[in-house]
Amino acid sequence: MGDQPIWEQIRSSLIQHYYQLFDNDRPQLDTMSIDASCLTWEGQQFQGKAAIAGKLSSLLFQKIQHSLMAQDHQPTPDSCIISMVVGQLTADEDPIMRFHQMFLLKNINDAWVCTNAVFRLALHDFG
Amino acid sequence: MGEKPVWEQIGSSFIQLYYQLFYNDRTQLGAIYIDASCLMWEGQQFQGKAATGEKLFSFPFQKIQHSITAQDHQATPDSCIISMVAGQLKADEDRIMGFHQMFLLKNINDAWVCTNDMFRLALHNFG
Repeated sequence: MGDQPIWEQIRSSLIQHYYQLFDNDRPQLDTMSIDASCLTWEGQQFQGKAAIAGKLSSLLFQKIQHSLMAQDHQPTPDSCIISMVVGQLTADEDPIMRFHQMFLLKNINDAWVCTNAVFRLALHDFG
Repeated sequence: MGEKPVWEQIGSSFIQLYYQLFYNDRTQLGAIYIDASCLMWEGQQFQGKAATGEKLFSFPFQKIQHSITAQDHQATPDSCIISMVAGQLKADEDRIMGFHQMFLLKNINDAWVCTNDMFRLALHNFG
């Protein structure tokens, strides 16, 4: 009811956009990072646009599909958006795997970019 | 060589303190939040020090133990620290469950406080 808070509208489209690019046109992910961006991928850190693009283009699969199971978003005191996503992914013919990812999104010159991202596969079983 | 970056040191000390307090005395957790803090707990939002403290204190379990399997820390362009944690927890005699949590830490008047906190249990089965 009423208008969704602005940041909720922004986040739905931003996160959806990120995974759509990832699944369909990975090189375009470059548009969402800046030189101050930082990506931690399975514990390895990549600093800056070039290093991040290098890592993402080096991933070995041909095809990947992400399916989001839960996403949480909050505004931060510095007017950024912080998001935590839990989902499943399938790369090529590999078995489905769970993952979680975190994004910090910042508005710079009227465009939302991703300044921080952390990705981990949920490899640790419990129980 | 080999000293961890300062944001990693701060992030990991915070994580250790947070889960220690969670185990030993949840009432003390209020001290790490401020009035601008925002907690999301399994998709429910709690705004501010009072509401956050109340939620954390309201859990029905007596004791809970967290075991961290992975933690990642990054510095943000606004000089905050973002931390993502994956692990397992056990509340009282319940079964072990997986969880992931994310914190945004900000330095205010020489103290690191938590402005954003998001928690999710790893409940989604796949396959």
